[in-house]
Amino acid sequence: MNTTTRCRKYAWSASALALLAMPALAQMHPERIAELEEQLTALTEQLGELKAELDEAKDNGSIETIRKDVEANKVAIRATQSSTAFTEATSVTHLSGYASADYVSVEDGPAAFVANFNPMFHFLYDNKILWEAELEVEVEENGDTNIGLEYTTVDWFLNDNLTLVAGKFLSPIGNFRQNLHPSWINKLPSAPAGFGHDGAAPISEVGLQIRGGNPVGNNGRITYAAYVGNGPKIEGEDGEIHAVEAEGFASDPDDEKVFGGRVAFLPMPNLEFAVSGATGDVAVVENDGADLEGDPKRGYTVFGFDANYRWSNLDLRGEFVSQEVDAAALSVAPENTKWETWYAQAAYRFGGDSNWEGVVRYTDFKSPHADDTQEQLALGVNYLIAPSAMLKFGYESNEGEPGEITDADRWIVQIAFGY
Amino acid sequence: MRTKLFTLVPIAAISAVLGLGMLAAQTTAAAEEAKATTQSDPMQFVNGSKTWANTCARCHNMRDPKSLRDDQWRAAIAHMRVRAGLTAEEAKNVLVFLQQSN
Ligand code: HEC
Repeated sequence: MNTTTRCRKYAWSASALALLAMPALAQMHPERIAELEEQLTALTEQLGELKAELDEAKDNGSIETIRKDVEANKVAIRATQSSTAFTEATSVTHLSGYASADYVSVEDGPAAFVANFNPMFHFLYDNKILWEAELEVEVEENGDTNIGLEYTTVDWFLNDNLTLVAGKFLSPIGNFRQNLHPSWINKLPSAPAGFGHDGAAPISEVGLQIRGGNPVGNNGRITYAAYVGNGPKIEGEDGEIHAVEAEGFASDPDDEKVFGGRVAFLPMPNLEFAVSGATGDVAVVENDGADLEGDPKRGYTVFGFDANYRWSNLDLRGEFVSQEVDAAALSVAPENTKWETWYAQAAYRFGGDSNWEGVVRYTDFKSPHADDTQEQLALGVNYLIAPSAMLKFGYESNEGEPGEITDADRWIVQIAFGY
Repeated sequence: MRTKLFTLVPIAAISAVLGLGMLAAQTTAAAEEAKATTQSDPMQFVNGSKTWANTCARCHNMRDPKSLRDDQWRAAIAHMRVRAGLTAEEAKNVLVFLQQSN
């Protein structure tokens, strides 16, 4: 009972006692009257004390404190209710992604600022099924906004070790494209040569994928992915295969699917070796800019190998990918054509908890077209603003066909933030 | 026609794996329910912290458990389970660890 109610109760009891006593006083024994008088005095005293207590409480603000405590409790109760709702509701939505802004200065060319952001959406139902999607939104050179669908997949958790991934997904060939390319992850401001568009490594695929993993032994792990998809589009130009567009198409004009996958073995958590590959039939479906039908089918093979190692402040990564289209004597572009790239990268975080990091990457990209072929040494210094935010200073020493853009060195300053 | 057959065989193989997966999914659901009842198992937190330490800095810098709310971690861990090839149990343990450390 609080002080105010107690006070009121005493006051009521005292006055009730006094009222009851009135008519009876006349017939009452003087001793009894004295006794009642004593009780009345005692009650009045108690009432005075309680009033004083109450006034004191009012003065030092303890009532206000109690009231605030009660309010805070209510808020806390509400908060726990909502946080259990957050943990237990069957559906969860989550918006994340990353953004970056660069300043690119090319040898003998104009320097420019560029900007882009990649919003990412997740919708999870009951730990059973997840939708994940990412858009790529960037300002183009002419000021237009370019929006691309990087991936959209429905991931169905089939059991402990297998997930079915259906839709447009990042190619599971190698490690860079699926796991390292986002700007807040990539330790250099650019992708290694051959890992971008028209390169050696496929970018994405539209189809079905099954992936998962399992612990092996004490500390090891194996992860696996297998997929079937529409495969790339082969473009011919001037009697040669100009490019293998492996960016995920929602059509398959050559009507031949491509099958592929990746298996990675981690003998310990910080060491990973993986092989990946894809195979299928393809046909030239575009020649000199126009659609082409009926060009003969030919074999298509991708092979990849990647290794990753982390030790203390050192992070080492390397990757090799080759992509080959077989010869077809009757084709508009009859020759066998092969792209090949590899890179090795070392990153070191200076000192124990330092926010500075140094990076070196060597890349050697061989394309059947001399103007695409490039050898590159990239150096970088990064300042880690937060675990998922970096300021990167990068320099690329590029060796390509003289006079081509692939031969121009570049400075790139980039700020990247994964949110 | 021969190539068509070549296409059909792997598709059939994938369907078979899917079929098996679905069968297994039912048993997993039961196992998950059993797990849910032992949600306060302190070993989940311990094992989760190990898996987190071993796995979550493999591809990118480790994110602070405090950087996301409980519900956001649910979505992020489901996503990372697919990326990192974690089992359902490992993912659940990491989630318990993160939700108790944020
Ligand atoms: C196999 C590589 C890999 C591993 C291992 C990995 N991540 Fe990631 N993580 C990624 C990639 C790639 C992205 C960016 C996804 C994108 O942009 O599509 C990402 C994004 C995230 C994000 C941003 C939100 C989101 O869901 O995209 C969080 C948070 C995250 N990871 C936490 C973790 C945690 C916790 C672990 C340990 C269980 C982990 N990651 C392990 C590759 C990995």
